[in-house]
Amino acid sequence: MIRKTRAKGTWLVATVLAVGSLFATALPAHAETGVSSSEIKLGITLPLTGAASPGYNKIGNAMNAYFKYVNDNGGVYGRKITLIQKNDEYSPQLSIAKTNELILKDKVFALVGPLGTANYTSVHKSVGLAKRGVPSLFLNTGFSGFANKKSYPSSFMILPSYAMEAKIIAKFLKENHAGKKLGIVYQNDEFGIDGMGAFKAAGTKFDVTVAYTSGTQSAATAQTWVSQLAAGGAQVVVFFGVTSATAPLLAVAAAAKYAPQWILGSVGADPLTLRALGVPLAVLNGAQTPAGNPSPNDTSDEYVKQFQEINAKYNTGTAFDDYVLQGMNIGLMTVQGLRAAGSNPTRKKLISAMETKGSTFASVAYSPLGYSKTSNVGHTGYYMAVMDASGDRKPFGGKVTLYSTDSGSGQVVVSTFKRPAMPAKGLPSNS
Amino acid sequence: MRNFKFKRSLTLIAVTSLLSITIVSIPTVAQAAPACDGKSPVQSCVGATSDGAPYSMMVPANFNGTVYLWSHGYRPNIPVPAGIPGYGGYTVTNTPEPGPSAAVIGALLAKGYAVMGSGFARQGWNANSAIKTNVELIGTYKKQFPKTTKVISWGNSLGGFQSQYLAEKHPELISSAGALCLSSDALAISDTAADALWLIKTFFDPTIKGGNYSAGAAGYAEAMGDLVKVFTVIGHFQAAIAANPTAPAWPATSKVPDALKAVPSRSALVLTALLTGVPMQSAHFDSTSAPAGIPAASALSFQLAINPALAALENVANAAALATFQIYDLELQTGGVWYDNTATDWAARVADERFIWASALSGESATNALLGYLAAVPKAKANPDARAKVSGLGTHTGISKVPTVLYTGVADPILGASQQQSIIDKHDAYLAQQWPANREAAVKKRAVNNLLPLWGIPAEKYTKFTAAGSPDTTVAATPGTNHCNFTTKQYTAIAELLAYAADNGKHLSGGALLTKIRKAGNMTYDRGYVAPKMKN
Repeated sequence: MIRKTRAKGTWLVATVLAVGSLFATALPAHAETGVSSSEIKLGITLPLTGAASPGYNKIGNAMNAYFKYVNDNGGVYGRKITLIQKNDEYSPQLSIAKTNELILKDKVFALVGPLGTANYTSVHKSVGLAKRGVPSLFLNTGFSGFANKKSYPSSFMILPSYAMEAKIIAKFLKENHAGKKLGIVYQNDEFGIDGMGAFKAAGTKFDVTVAYTSGTQSAATAQTWVSQLAAGGAQVVVFFGVTSATAPLLAVAAAAKYAPQWILGSVGADPLTLRALGVPLAVLNGAQTPAGNPSPNDTSDEYVKQFQEINAKYNTGTAFDDYVLQGMNIGLMTVQGLRAAGSNPTRKKLISAMETKGSTFASVAYSPLGYSKTSNVGHTGYYMAVMDASGDRKPFGGKVTLYSTDSGSGQVVVSTFKRPAMPAKGLPSNS
Repeated sequence: MRNFKFKRSLTLIAVTSLLSITIVSIPTVAQAAPACDGKSPVQSCVGATSDGAPYSMMVPANFNGTVYLWSHGYRPNIPVPAGIPGYGGYTVTNTPEPGPSAAVIGALLAKGYAVMGSGFARQGWNANSAIKTNVELIGTYKKQFPKTTKVISWGNSLGGFQSQYLAEKHPELISSAGALCLSSDALAISDTAADALWLIKTFFDPTIKGGNYSAGAAGYAEAMGDLVKVFTVIGHFQAAIAANPTAPAWPATSKVPDALKAVPSRSALVLTALLTGVPMQSAHFDSTSAPAGIPAASALSFQLAINPALAALENVANAAALATFQIYDLELQTGGVWYDNTATDWAARVADERFIWASALSGESATNALLGYLAAVPKAKANPDARAKVSGLGTHTGISKVPTVLYTGVADPILGASQQQSIIDKHDAYLAQQWPANREAAVKKRAVNNLLPLWGIPAEKYTKFTAAGSPDTTVAATPGTNHCNFTTKQYTAIAELLAYAADNGKHLSGGALLTKIRKAGNMTYDRGYVAPKMKN
């Protein structure tokens, strides 16, 4: 049952006064939805089960593990973070229902990391996030439309946009695969359209173009993709879709002994998940991919090392991969956002903090963050990487060359941005 | 994706379910005073207003001074030949309807309230004449029962329109109003329905006439012929989706180019629903569920593509059927073709939804192809005079001048959420305009927000499947779906809220309100909820 949402806010003050303990009164009394003297409630919708869930279903638990770590180390200004995960099965209709539950029933303070482009589009439209003033941080989608501050005033991206990614791949194709027959398989919605628009603007011409409808990915449909690609003689194939589609594509291609140079979009390129879905290691070997974060196996990276330690203790038994890394990093950025909102956080303060301080947050990704009062763009770049025979991912050319750009007509440039250091012990102290 | 079988035809709103629940003798001429049987504990009175509309009154011996005036919903103004799904065998009737059901009426009478209702002088779209009838009926009742202190107006569907209209135009006659699953303005609701029919005609069967019906018996035959064709298309989809859920065949009657037929026909059906503005949850299809035990990839496909197509099928069927009656009726009333889509920007109507329902629409390319076809085909053009006359057949201001309760299921097939939202939007705009004006005039008391909007929201998942994995449409429509699909508990709760408002001049609020609606079940109060706007 959905109830009236306006918080009266007086009950908490009364409770604190009634308890009267030294500890309780030392905490700031508070009157914002989802924030009590001892807790901040956050929510996320994502596919925890179903065909689209592999990989994605790790993100929430990874965030939760990081929050538990922070909670065990004093929380955020004394408040512990509670993350409520809701399974939307990748269905937009369920995303709406589950988000309504989070906001109206669970009364979360903010959404963090909601996943899926169609899912978030439908949620934003149907739940009225902007009208309700609910902050929605670090969207797990790269649709460039979400960067529209006017339409999405309380939403903040984290991934570079699909348009940025396509522009960077376009540059890579031009510099490294010139003269070869190009093919592309893309998800035929705003995910793929975002990328295709950018490829077109960059002048990339594909000899074979295969569009698939989200939700139809399977071994049978992948067979038709591979047939078209092979018939067209595509030597380099860009894949712009989700992991549950990458897997059948690569597996079917391997079975058909069709072996082009694969360039896998960042969303569907986690080696561990692909292997778990049956993609032979040999097929992944040599596949190229844009990447925003270091390899999850790179323990020389201070972020990766810290997150791996947290994962081992608070997310026991979960293999550390790109999705876990992404979830941990969203946790890290969320804590910075909450801290930046101050000791008496409100939704308005959190949004303001994201706009004024968000671009300075520590993040595992190499590229700059674009948050400002006029922008809710997250990270802004990628480096190109290559998968090796062990299933790991290494920078193309042996070192990270970061490319940064925008979602529009801006140039793709090599970035000299220096990533902020990981906060000591992975615990932010910003304000 | 394997195929499946339906256990029975998809749900259609049965006209018979909207008809009278209290059969009384019907006077055929106006009577100066009602004829009452003088019985106790409940006295029944019948009569007819000056326009010949029969009415019925039921008054308990312990009448407490408050009477509920019920306005019934839409009834076609033409008979429907037997054999047409949902509607076949319907005959036009103006049987009075003093309440939504015998159980609700009984509950009100037991508490000392009286009830009354008219059968109205004409059926079909009768907003203007029904208002006159109701105004006269209120006067007749008060004269017959001078103890009357309060009149509460309520009604559903087209009756909801009439109740809202009384709250706007005749606050001096009523103390509170309930507009349930209400129809919005004559032109808006008619356009919504007609859009559905035009899209079915355009995509699936261009022999559907869809308007410009001939005079006399020939026109009636044409309209009924259209109704048959609509259900033939619907029946085709039911069979075709069952046989091949992923790529159901296009109807043989479709004349879209062969290239367009590469797009799954179910996607054209989904687009029809989205362009019309009917919800994507229906009586039996939640647009989220999949049968248990099928491979994950097939389950995802069913969730994102097949289930939404079936939801669209159920809801579009209802919208298109209503359109057939409404187009015929309004052409008779206005003397010409009134439906017009020459200025309709179909693509703009799905600017957001095309992404949300991308899988069901088979992706961007398919959506563009379907929209491109709609942009290229000839449009429906109206006679401007006829269209203007439709506008004159009833329009809401949204400014309720007595406390008014609104209630609808958000997945009502055609009337409901967006129409209720239009009333809320108009009322909010009025308040926004009034409050500064009040301040300037040093008026201490703000303009009152008289609306109490309530919503029936379907469960997240409610599609049922048989053991064989086929959708089971034999189960009752889930709450929050279907047209005016309310329980006795819900009607009774609405009646109690209206009584409170009538007695106190304002709505019940706070915990008492929340408790009451919680006990009614599937009734939500959320000021932050905003239903999708109408598409026209």
